[in-house]
Amino acid sequence: MPFISKIQRQTDYSRFPSSHPIVIDNGGSYFRIGWAGEANPRVIFRNIVQRPRHKITGETVTIVGDHDLALLKYFDCTRSGPRSAFDSNVVYQFEIMEYILDFGFNRLGADGSQIDHPVLITECACNPVQSRSKMAELLFESYGVPSVAFGVDAAFSYKYNQQRGICDKDGLAVCSGFSTSHVIPFVNGEPVYEACCRTNVGGYHVTDYLKQLLSLKYPNHISRLTWEKVEDLKMEHCYIAPDYASEVRLFQKGAKEAEEKTRCWQLPWTPSPALEPPSEEEIARKAALKEKQGQRLREMAEAKRSSKINELENESKKLEFLLLQLRHVPENEVRSFLSKTGYVSKQEIESAFTKTTQSLRKYKGELENEEKADLSAAEKYTLINIPDNMLTPEQVKEKKRQLFLKTTSEGRQRAKQKRFEEDLERERQNKQDEEKRLENPELYLGQLRAKHRDLSEKVEQRKRLKTNGGHSNGNNVSGGVGRGERLNAAQRERMRLLTTAAFDRGKGEDTFGYKDEDWQLYKLMSKDTEDDDEGPDEDEAELARVSSRLRDIDPTFVSRSEAGPSETSHLRPLTKEDFQILLGVERFRCPEIIFNPNLIGIDQAGLDEMAGVSIRRLPAVCQSLDERMTNSILMMGGNCLFPGMADRLEAGIRMIRPCGTPIRVMGASDPILDAWRGAAAYAAAMQFPQQTFSKVDYYEKGEDWLRQYQLRYTY
Amino acid sequence: MEREVIEADLVLPTHLGFKKIQMYEKYPKGQARGRHRKHLKQIIQAENYQNYPPDVPNYINIESPPSMHPCKKICDITGFAAPYYDPRTNLRYANAEVFKAIRSLPNDYVQRYLALRNAAVVLR
Repeated sequence: MPFISKIQRQTDYSRFPSSHPIVIDNGGSYFRIGWAGEANPRVIFRNIVQRPRHKITGETVTIVGDHDLALLKYFDCTRSGPRSAFDSNVVYQFEIMEYILDFGFNRLGADGSQIDHPVLITECACNPVQSRSKMAELLFESYGVPSVAFGVDAAFSYKYNQQRGICDKDGLAVCSGFSTSHVIPFVNGEPVYEACCRTNVGGYHVTDYLKQLLSLKYPNHISRLTWEKVEDLKMEHCYIAPDYASEVRLFQKGAKEAEEKTRCWQLPWTPSPALEPPSEEEIARKAALKEKQGQRLREMAEAKRSSKINELENESKKLEFLLLQLRHVPENEVRSFLSKTGYVSKQEIESAFTKTTQSLRKYKGELENEEKADLSAAEKYTLINIPDNMLTPEQVKEKKRQLFLKTTSEGRQRAKQKRFEEDLERERQNKQDEEKRLENPELYLGQLRAKHRDLSEKVEQRKRLKTNGGHSNGNNVSGGVGRGERLNAAQRERMRLLTTAAFDRGKGEDTFGYKDEDWQLYKLMSKDTEDDDEGPDEDEAELARVSSRLRDIDPTFVSRSEAGPSETSHLRPLTKEDFQILLGVERFRCPEIIFNPNLIGIDQAGLDEMAGVSIRRLPAVCQSLDERMTNSILMMGGNCLFPGMADRLEAGIRMIRPCGTPIRVMGASDPILDAWRGAAAYAAAMQFPQQTFSKVDYYEKGEDWLRQYQLRYTY
Repeated sequence: MEREVIEADLVLPTHLGFKKIQMYEKYPKGQARGRHRKHLKQIIQAENYQNYPPDVPNYINIESPPSMHPCKKICDITGFAAPYYDPRTNLRYANAEVFKAIRSLPNDYVQRYLALRNAAVVLR
């Protein structure tokens, strides 16, 4: 269940005498503070600090712990993420620690000029001296605390449970916290730090793993997967499988138990308004509209055509009249007459006349007059057969023009012929195809489908190659061209041309560009790259033809490009399933990293192996106790609340211990709060004042003494 | 400050009665506070654990050794058992469908999957 912070300001601070210790459990995830001897800490909050700026006033404020998001909207939280004082399980940022202590003491109700109570604060096992001394300094200097004691949270928890009778005085404490997991053996009630074992995997890593996996699987919903939400998901749904391999096989087979074990998180979603299939009258109305539009277009075309015909008729009539007039005009006045009309010579008028009559005929709908063209061609080409030396220069020019015209018209005819033949050919092939289809529909269909598949794969591969090549060409940070995709032929050719151009110009001087031929290089290069793009087009055209054919004859065919990649999925209307996040394998894959840190690349032993390592590390004098060790294994810490953890731990330890040793794994009475409770019980005992050290001690005895300082847990 | 913010007592007050030295005296505004913080690695280095006898437990001593069990190979994408791996991207996969999915992944997704396993190529 998600933890709830308690940050109500306490009012009974003054009730407690000066000798009454304050107990602080400084954990990686939560900070707990309260009075010694009580059952529960007074104030609990998340061990993070945020320093956002107020949106309106602009001042930077400090907010400790996690708070209701609704209140945080007044602050600009983009620049300041939540920060923790911890790096792994060691405090290293004492400014943040100071903010947290401020807040803790403030909520405890502290008043007066300084904190006048001895303080018991927890730390990690084998805390570096620097961290310890800085913490002591902070407490002494800034808060005026008279005396301080440091203890290990796992030890307090174990002692507390020992007093409750849950575990024996010899045993193993398996503590799985926020950023690390420890296994500490206890002999005679005292922790044996020489045999302690720590792996840097904790609740933070599990949540982070789950968050990454879900973000990669559902990139559309990435904004929904915040850290807090994922933590909630983890606490609610994750469990530890008794055996990872067999559990995963269930899911792989798609067994029914796997379906039941899959949890589904439905995000809020509104269906888009559904487009009902248009009803009968809708269709009829649309058809009528289209008809009307078509009619209108046709009318417009008609009108245009008739006006054009009229124009042309007028034009031709005018020209005819001109020609007539020209015949009647005497020779020497021809030129002046012509200049008035705007035509240069009689032939021009004649040619214009013929042109207009022809286009007129075309508009009137008659076929193109091939013979007429031929005839006029024959007339026009009269000059060709006459050899050059018999003609005047103008006539030579005329002849050249006619030659040109003739070749072009011949070319056109040839092209027409070829097209005609191709059409015939295609007709024939289609007929053959039809016959083949009629005689054996199944086989034909299969062949067509196979062809379609091959073609589409080829096209896609080429597309991917091109984009991949484009990618690697764009992201060439490390300069690696031959990473996986070699340059294709065109690019290689370009390279070659460029290097030869730059190279063989004589040493010492770059004379590229002085000669015009050099620039032809670029024509060559660009032609090369052009060709590459032309190639796949035939394949694509073929593909289009085949898919259209398939669509005609095969009712079940869905073209590959529609069904395949997810980029086109947004064209489909979004369904309810798009807004679901499924937790199947992730449910037990994420906590698995506690037992198998290799899954996230941390090369250390998992929790069950750590127990074996710890027992092995016991000094020789304690070796005989290892049977008793496994008889009382206590699990504590927030990260061990996963269902199925106890069984898995037991099975794992059974694997590494000699056969038949008694193994008993139990969970602490309250894995999260027990550390604080144990510390509070300890602080309330009589011997506590002897275990603390005061400011005077701290400054006199120096750092070495602080290094040796260890709490004695039995009293 | 808005009323609800004040009521909820969200913000840490700048002056606290029980403190001998206030925060704003210790860290005057405008000064860069972050420079002289030592990270864990530097703290451990400064500890000079090698000068002390090796059987005395200290922060590094008590770390776990690498695991003795053979590494369990699971598919990077689905989590199933994965006997195969793709030489081009270095991802592990369980069967042919997953392989197809891998080959169609864009590059940054591949790197993120690898980073989950701490196997991404980091160019620094």
